[in-house]
Amino acid sequence: MKAPRVGIIGIGQSEFKPRRDDANYPELVREGVTLALNDAKLELKDMQAVVYSLAPDALLGIGNAERLGVDAVGARNKRFMRINTGGATGISSVITGWTHIAAGECDVVLVAGADKVGESGDSQTILNKIWDPTYERALPLGTITMLAMSAVRAMHKYGLTEEDMARVTVKNRLNASKNPKAHLRKVVSMEEVLASRYISWPIKLLDACPQSSGGAAMVLASEKYIKDNKLDAVWISGVGHCSESYYMGDRMGNKIMADHADAHALGRSFERSYKMAGITDPAKQVHLAELYAPFSNTEYHSIEATGVCKLGASMALMREGHFDLGGRIPINPSGGTLCTNAIAVSALVRAAEVALQVWGRAGEHQVKGAKIGIASGNGGDHQFFGTMVIES
Amino acid sequence: MNAGTKIGIAGVAIHAPQRSDTRSLEESIYAVTWAALRDAEFGIEDIEGIVVAGNDELDGRAISIMMASGSVGGVDRDILSTPSAAEHAFVLGALRIASGQFATQLVVAWSPLEVDSINDALKIGTDPYWHRALPQDELATHGLQAGVLEHAVPGVREAAAAIVRKNRLHGAMAYPDRPLGPVEDAFIASGKPTRWPLTDTMVAPPAFGLVAMVLADGDTIAKRKCGNVAWIRGMGWATEPGFIGDRDLSTLPSLDAAREQAYAAAGVTNASSFDVAEVADGTPYQELLAYEGLGICARDAWSKQVASGTYARGGKLPVNLSGGALSFNPVFCAGLVRIAEAANQVRGRAGSHQVRNAKRAVAHAASGPAMHYNTVVVMEGGRS
Repeated sequence: MKAPRVGIIGIGQSEFKPRRDDANYPELVREGVTLALNDAKLELKDMQAVVYSLAPDALLGIGNAERLGVDAVGARNKRFMRINTGGATGISSVITGWTHIAAGECDVVLVAGADKVGESGDSQTILNKIWDPTYERALPLGTITMLAMSAVRAMHKYGLTEEDMARVTVKNRLNASKNPKAHLRKVVSMEEVLASRYISWPIKLLDACPQSSGGAAMVLASEKYIKDNKLDAVWISGVGHCSESYYMGDRMGNKIMADHADAHALGRSFERSYKMAGITDPAKQVHLAELYAPFSNTEYHSIEATGVCKLGASMALMREGHFDLGGRIPINPSGGTLCTNAIAVSALVRAAEVALQVWGRAGEHQVKGAKIGIASGNGGDHQFFGTMVIES
Repeated sequence: MNAGTKIGIAGVAIHAPQRSDTRSLEESIYAVTWAALRDAEFGIEDIEGIVVAGNDELDGRAISIMMASGSVGGVDRDILSTPSAAEHAFVLGALRIASGQFATQLVVAWSPLEVDSINDALKIGTDPYWHRALPQDELATHGLQAGVLEHAVPGVREAAAAIVRKNRLHGAMAYPDRPLGPVEDAFIASGKPTRWPLTDTMVAPPAFGLVAMVLADGDTIAKRKCGNVAWIRGMGWATEPGFIGDRDLSTLPSLDAAREQAYAAAGVTNASSFDVAEVADGTPYQELLAYEGLGICARDAWSKQVASGTYARGGKLPVNLSGGALSFNPVFCAGLVRIAEAANQVRGRAGSHQVRNAKRAVAHAASGPAMHYNTVVVMEGGRS
């Protein structure tokens, strides 16, 4: 069945900071909602359903914290559900909002959430609890050590170097310096990144994302609603998800489906999104990408999963400036997750930033002439992946 | 949903393991998944998308759905989770098929007994500054709701006790292998207060339970010649506000909203058209609120209708012939079990508690403090 057209008509992002002592959790959710509604020139009463974007309860210290957000998103007595696919939650929530409209259930849907990762204490201690309590939790596993192992594997498999990793940080920090919403906006040099302390070899402090607090929201609408109300919109033309194994040990050795150096399921998810959007050659058809890459090394395998280059080829292209703002396919022109990571909404922000780009509203970090963009989210232990194609 | 959309429930499995120490949670999820697939006569290769629901606090994990993805066949597949409620997984599964992008969906939810105290685990869901210091666990909110109803509706306590007895007797017939709670009126009435006015004999202890369902579009069901299908005719879901202080606990406006959505989609104008109902009954007062919210019975007639056996086996509209959550209470997935039980009735697969010629059923699920989330599903058996 041909995919129905669903439009993005409003976007709201709060400023992302290390702490937001000035706003409690529901207030932070409301901040993004108000901005998105103002952008769409609609009110809460116009929303027919709400999809709530919230990753692990433990980061907020409140079980099912979506219930505390019900009034912040104006959902009382309305359709409401929460989505959680870990770090992919934000894009999974947007896709769930898309599903509400594509199913013909609603014409206008609000997707919203917030996170206070910066106020969670030590997020890595919390994220250790995503692993199996019997076999894995006693190990020093966190998302950093998990993806450090991916970097080591990529060093062995593709010759990834710490300089290659630093190059991603330098690019993304320069991009973030042009994005007023980003958390880490200070430009850094290769030397500064390489001199920063190791957190989990080979990932250093400046190769890692910050713990951010902030909120974000998006208003989606059916094509009919957009036409009837003469609204401005950009269009979601492709969506997809795919999952890898839970146990990282299943991503190594012989006969594996996925290699921990790569992002196999992310690639499969992009294949599904492209099929729906009619994209056959992403290297030629895609103008920019916002890819969920919380550590510098993971941007490489994320780029390769988009299909814009072959496995192991992204590092050379990065050196040539292919992925810079102004390059052939700018990757993370907003600065990406490496510069801002409020986990519950990070992948929503990826979709929002692509939408702003193809709308021509991205401001100082605008990609010139961008008409088709792609976004992704990764969650769990590099396990859940969601992707989206957005067009003007 | 889109006009002409046909979505059927082709497979159902409800597991109530008596022991949780002989199989891991992952193994139990695997078992219920494959049982649902076998019931539908599907293989995992026929499944295009999966929606699961678990509760991090009850599972003792952050992002508990991670461990489930292998057990439900999620690797290399499109899998989502709705931790807000188990029944939301069903709603999203149906919406995904209605979007036209999926022909099939697998829906799985579970509720284990892996924490020392379920009440303490669920208390983490309260506001950390204002409410967590109070003894306000989920059962306490159900007690507050029951207390408000006792004040608002004279004689409701007797009706509540009769519902406990009715559902436990239903449960004994439906699932004789499960432990039976008290059914004697005097014993029910003599319970010790646990969360006033609820007593320990008026609720069921938490149980380990899992439920899985296979959903498919009309073309797939026709092509595979699936028998015993429950067709989804209407769905509605809505939420109450987050703070119970903002609610009148004697009413459920979100259930009214969910009912209106579901009945409008299904063309239901009168609840008398249902042959059978499965409704939320974490407490007997919840079942009474469901009667009102679904248009089955106004509150001033609760006592009379319950006493007359209208909602008992053999009555005009049998409610909770499975025994409901008053007999078997897997806390987090009890709502999805209601939908699964109602589906089995119109599929003609309800076993010893089957209603003869059940053609149309309504399922009502409620989750969270004092029935925070309400979901209504109207289903019909027979041809699409």
